[in-house]
Amino acid sequence: MENKIDQTLDCKGLSCPMPMMKLAKAMKGLNSGEILEMVGTDPGTKSDLPRWCEKSGNEMLEEGELEGGIFRFLIKKK
Amino acid sequence: MSEKTKEPGVLGNLFKTFFAKHWPVWVGAIVLGTLNILLFAIKSPWGASGGINNWGENVFKSIGIFGLENATATSTSLYGMLCVFLVIGSFIGALLSKEFALRIPPKGELIKGFIGGGLMAVGATFGIGCSIGSFYSGVPALSGGAIIFTIGMFTGVVIALKYLIWEMEKFPKFSSGKSYNFLSGTGKSGSWQIYLGWIALIITFIIAYQYSGGNKIMAWFIIIGMFMGLISQRSRFCIVKAFRDPFMTGEADGSVGVMAGLVISVFGFTAIKYFGIGVGDIVVRAREMTWVFPHFFFRAIIGGFVFGLGMTIAGGCAVGTLWRVGEGQVKLWASALGFLLISPISKLYIVPPIVKALPQNFNFKNYLPDYLGYPGAVGLVLFIILIWYVFVKWNEKTGRFSAF
Repeated sequence: MENKIDQTLDCKGLSCPMPMMKLAKAMKGLNSGEILEMVGTDPGTKSDLPRWCEKSGNEMLEEGELEGGIFRFLIKKK
Repeated sequence: MSEKTKEPGVLGNLFKTFFAKHWPVWVGAIVLGTLNILLFAIKSPWGASGGINNWGENVFKSIGIFGLENATATSTSLYGMLCVFLVIGSFIGALLSKEFALRIPPKGELIKGFIGGGLMAVGATFGIGCSIGSFYSGVPALSGGAIIFTIGMFTGVVIALKYLIWEMEKFPKFSSGKSYNFLSGTGKSGSWQIYLGWIALIITFIIAYQYSGGNKIMAWFIIIGMFMGLISQRSRFCIVKAFRDPFMTGEADGSVGVMAGLVISVFGFTAIKYFGIGVGDIVVRAREMTWVFPHFFFRAIIGGFVFGLGMTIAGGCAVGTLWRVGEGQVKLWASALGFLLISPISKLYIVPPIVKALPQNFNFKNYLPDYLGYPGAVGLVLFIILIWYVFVKWNEKTGRFSAF
């Protein structure tokens, strides 16, 4: 089943802590069950984001790497 | 992924253990703490701002300004080379895990990188040490000034984080805009990164070997520096993260990792000082006073505060900046540039007049065992770490102090 994306957050080129800060802020603005797509290039996000989801109770639906070293995540708000 | 991928062999699995996933911060921090003890046993503990300052002095020496013609060449400076190989080690770690790429951020981020680096330079000059020298090494060295520096740094981090959040809310454009990403190692075509990683690793050992004839200590500093960079990159070891994240997302893993490294170093450093290990022909007292700087407490508190502001705005402490340089994060290139250019200037012109104005008895070396004995000093440091641990874990659960 395709996930319906409610908002996309572009964090390409940004270094720690900007991706996590922007993500936490964007998630605040979503309603429960809505899905955020985040794209970024900081390798740190690959470990920070799943850990944050686990602790905050939000659900990581997908994580993967696109061409050109861009990481892509889909997160569903709790 | 292709279905034809072979099951990796024993060595392939070993490689994957190190380079497929990031290491937990605490693993990296404990290994870094152990290498730090080794550095101390060989010569003196880990430090970063001295090495970066050496780079800056050499830049100004080459253009012939500020009268720095007597500056030690980086190739003969132990800490200058330690920092160079920390960057190379991180480059190797990033290549072997195919995480290297030139990541060019929006302009606003580059400006913040440079300013953050400059503030770190001023803070490190004022506080006689950075997040490593006056914290990650200074606290295990049982320096009272290092504890004061840490309090200053902590305050600086909390205030700068408030600024970052304010900037993101009010001026989101500052941290967004055009960005570029080059040379990434995605997919099969990125395998060149692994080959280049091995080549860089071999070259590092050859350079260390060449030094080993005339300068054995340098040979060890080169290899340890390289491993420190590689481990920092794999575990994403970062002092800013340890202080900032509890107040940002509430995350405590970075903090707990740094604490684990501190505890190991406390025991190692104390043993070296207590028994006068590696004392050579200097007196035991000099060994005891290693990495106990004359900054208690004015220089430490102000230096720590300014450094804390700088590293949060830059998004990397001294070592966090260096290993992110090796990984290709161009924002931190700006930060390293700000650090190395401003450091000699602040040493020559900015800090001395301010220090002169301070009462001299506010800038002395405070060695905790002189007041509390060894058991008391070690007990105090461990107790402070324990309180910090309880705080970050409690905050992680309750989110009391986190912004998001």
